[in-house]
Amino acid sequence: MGSYILRRLLHAIPILFGVMVITFILFYGIQSPRVMAKRILGDKAKEEAVQNWLHQRGYDKPVFINLKGGNPFDSQFFRHVGALATFNLGTSDATGEPVIERFKQGALPSLSVTLPAFFMGIVIAVCAALYFVHVRDTAADLAGTIGSVVLMSLPIMVWVICGHALFAVWLRYVPAFGFSLAPGDAVRFLALPVCLLVFAGLGSDVRLYRAIFLEESRGEYVRTARAKGLSNQAVLLRHVLKNGMISIITLTVAALPALIMGTLVIEDFFGIPGLGSLALDAIRSSDFSVIRATTYVGSVLYLIGLILTDICYALVDPRIKLR
Amino acid sequence: MLLWLAGCSNNPHVAPWKTARPDGEPWITSYRGFSDDPRTLDPQVAYDELSHRVLSLTYDNFLTYDPFKKESTLIPGLAAELPVREDLPDGKVSYLCKLKPGIYFHDDVCFPDGKGRELTSEDFHYVFKRIADPKVQCPIASTLAEFLDGIGERYEAAQKTGTFDYDAPVGAITVVDRYTFRINLRKPYPQIKYWLAFAFTSPVAREAVEYYDGKVHDGKTRDLFRFHPVGTGPFKIAQWERGRLIRLIKNERYTAMKFPEGGWEPEEEARLRPYAGAALPIIDEIQLLPTREIIPLWTLFKQGYVEGIGVSKDTFNAVLGPDRELVPLYRERGVVLNKEVEMSTWYMMFNMQDKVLGPNRKLRQAMSVVFDAEAMNDIFRNGIALTTQQLLPPGIFGFDPNLVNPYRQTNVEKARQLMVEAGYPGGIDPKTGKPLELVMDTVADSGLSRQMAEFEKGQYEQLGIKVRIEENMFATMLKKQETGDFQFVSAGWNADYPDAENYFFLLYGPNQPPQGYNQARYTNPEFDKLFEKMATMENTPERYAIIQEMNRILIEDCVIAPLITDVSYILFQPWAKPVAKNTIISKFGGARYSILDTALREQKRGEWNHRSLWPAMVAGAALVGFVAWGLRKKGGVRG
Repeated sequence: MGSYILRRLLHAIPILFGVMVITFILFYGIQSPRVMAKRILGDKAKEEAVQNWLHQRGYDKPVFINLKGGNPFDSQFFRHVGALATFNLGTSDATGEPVIERFKQGALPSLSVTLPAFFMGIVIAVCAALYFVHVRDTAADLAGTIGSVVLMSLPIMVWVICGHALFAVWLRYVPAFGFSLAPGDAVRFLALPVCLLVFAGLGSDVRLYRAIFLEESRGEYVRTARAKGLSNQAVLLRHVLKNGMISIITLTVAALPALIMGTLVIEDFFGIPGLGSLALDAIRSSDFSVIRATTYVGSVLYLIGLILTDICYALVDPRIKLR
Repeated sequence: MLLWLAGCSNNPHVAPWKTARPDGEPWITSYRGFSDDPRTLDPQVAYDELSHRVLSLTYDNFLTYDPFKKESTLIPGLAAELPVREDLPDGKVSYLCKLKPGIYFHDDVCFPDGKGRELTSEDFHYVFKRIADPKVQCPIASTLAEFLDGIGERYEAAQKTGTFDYDAPVGAITVVDRYTFRINLRKPYPQIKYWLAFAFTSPVAREAVEYYDGKVHDGKTRDLFRFHPVGTGPFKIAQWERGRLIRLIKNERYTAMKFPEGGWEPEEEARLRPYAGAALPIIDEIQLLPTREIIPLWTLFKQGYVEGIGVSKDTFNAVLGPDRELVPLYRERGVVLNKEVEMSTWYMMFNMQDKVLGPNRKLRQAMSVVFDAEAMNDIFRNGIALTTQQLLPPGIFGFDPNLVNPYRQTNVEKARQLMVEAGYPGGIDPKTGKPLELVMDTVADSGLSRQMAEFEKGQYEQLGIKVRIEENMFATMLKKQETGDFQFVSAGWNADYPDAENYFFLLYGPNQPPQGYNQARYTNPEFDKLFEKMATMENTPERYAIIQEMNRILIEDCVIAPLITDVSYILFQPWAKPVAKNTIISKFGGARYSILDTALREQKRGEWNHRSLWPAMVAGAALVGFVAWGLRKKGGVRG
């Protein structure tokens, strides 16, 4: 397994290099550092101020290769690649704050939403999927299918606006905005964002898990268990659930590392100062340093998630060997 | 679950810093929405509105504006009196400035024993050194370098050597004594007084700048100075969690300003008289909630959890009726509608170096006469902006309320006649026999900007000409304006300070891009001469007359077609009626005068936030019913 993981890590290098190149090219394709300077300093910034800003951040260096003499790698592109490769995330172009500090500040608020939503989502989707397997081919199953398709069909923003209107505006059960992790405050601030995040992902999860459980329920061991006289509930809970969870765990573990990156829409809407909100803010303010850092860290976490998935498969399924 | 819901409050705020003042009186906290985090709280660096809103509460300026006068009038802030101009024999000018004694910086660990020291003239000297330091990146350094002694020289020297010697003096300031200093100018520049009312010249403590370096000391990382303001203002930052909360609390040692003894409108007498001469600030704490989305902020306002909100296009129809006044729902709630005329002017700008538009004054006049700014106001500003006929907005010295611009009285027939005189009868270019084709550059960053461009195109095509809209990315547009590669564009200007010079310099000949802002590339020796004279004058009748003469030239040359001055509509809760009437102060620093009726706030919040638990019970019962119904008709597991 060790050599497999090492190989996967080596495979990750060209992927991450690709991310660096694409981020850089996209950024330069959309706007030059000069425009970024104007956006950040304001339209009224004088030419000297713009030039000074560019110089202080190294944005006045050659773009790809330094052909003006001296070190050919003394260019914006190689500085960008070098910084990311060494996880030197630099300072925010807009505020001058170290990006790593913003990451440290934003990680906990993001996790306070995504982690509970992740686990609640699994528990609720598994329970619902088991229920629909149990009542399959009935009107309740059909209603569940329709409900799941509706949940899958609408984008998360619709659920956020509707959920906010219902629970915060009309019923006034929870605050319409804000965030606090203080004891006694955290639940009321997090309840709605977490529930909406669970709700938005529920449709696809229920359909997927239902399919997994149905597949399991067709296994030989289920027939044997029933032949031995076990009740439907007992078969579902003791055998189908246990075996189905192997697939579910391996599928969901891929998402775990990326949870730290938070959610763009929900964090922004409810004022949760997490990394999703940070990323959106960076896009709005043309803060290239933060955009490239969030993109790169997100890619690294995603790759880690994929490697973890493979490892989990090998660990829980004896038929799979990583070589 | 129901029990939790029953006990759960929808109040989005964290607990106030304290519950009572030292004298036992209740601690008063104001809650406000804030569209984002400030970018920086370094007064010598910040150039955005949000940062300045916070800076104006944490730092005081040498001068400020009278809070009760609509037309911006300078009054002493940290100053003991208004600066006295001294004309020197060599043509130079200096301003003698006297500070109030007994003003202290906020208590902070950067000072010995954590106690803020007294503000002195040396602190102003230090501020002008910071402005001259290229590493500080003060956006107005080059502007001040043009007028103030020593700024440019020190700036260039520091750029060459890479270091700035803060122990060497800068020629812009001469320290006379502990509370007196002189500002030395190369040439007359009365606008320096406005810069003294701007955060760029707010005094900062050298100890704070050097202490908050963002580095690790004794195992602890210190803040950067730009995130840790140590000023002399009425409030100090007690807590700043990015994206979540900015908590400002009262500076207990604040003595620089008192509540005015008078000057308010007669109908405010009963409300404001009890506070005359009172120590500032009146309230103890301000919680600013960075709220980027309008929907949650609007909900908080309706629930009584924020004190005020700007009326946006999304909420306009819900709040205001056809008469542009509050609808009954909000009137009955006691909500106050404040209308603030912005220091901005929007106009169509013609490129005077363009081969078609530049030499043809009649064509520009025709394009100005045909434009219906009223329709533009109705469609794109909900009819609340002011249509204008001059570059200066109201509230600026030199604005003439009776000015009639003959080329801004919408008249399609007159415009067509002008087209004949311009050599394009019916809009036809005699050289080609086809309609004259012009290109209008726009930034295509939203649906609204596209709609606006279509509207503008429609206005001009009434002349029979053909207008092609060239949609640009922001970057391309910027480049075109800098290089002059455009025919005409829609443009606008928000003033830095309330002075005519800050508008007319947009059309001053030598002020052309990339160094300057004269994007129209207008050059008129007569106008330039008048500008040079007007720019160095104090506000006198003679200056007013010169401004009118400049208006006359601009009207006739029709370099720009003034269209609109924006008006902001802001709603305030009945317990938080605004005190400051001046547009600048109401935005920047007006919270020091704020008065809150907290008893009324509690009462209204209770009335506006009734909750019923029955919908939750019904939903829970429906879910249980659905599960039970399915189980009753269950299928079962089949192998």
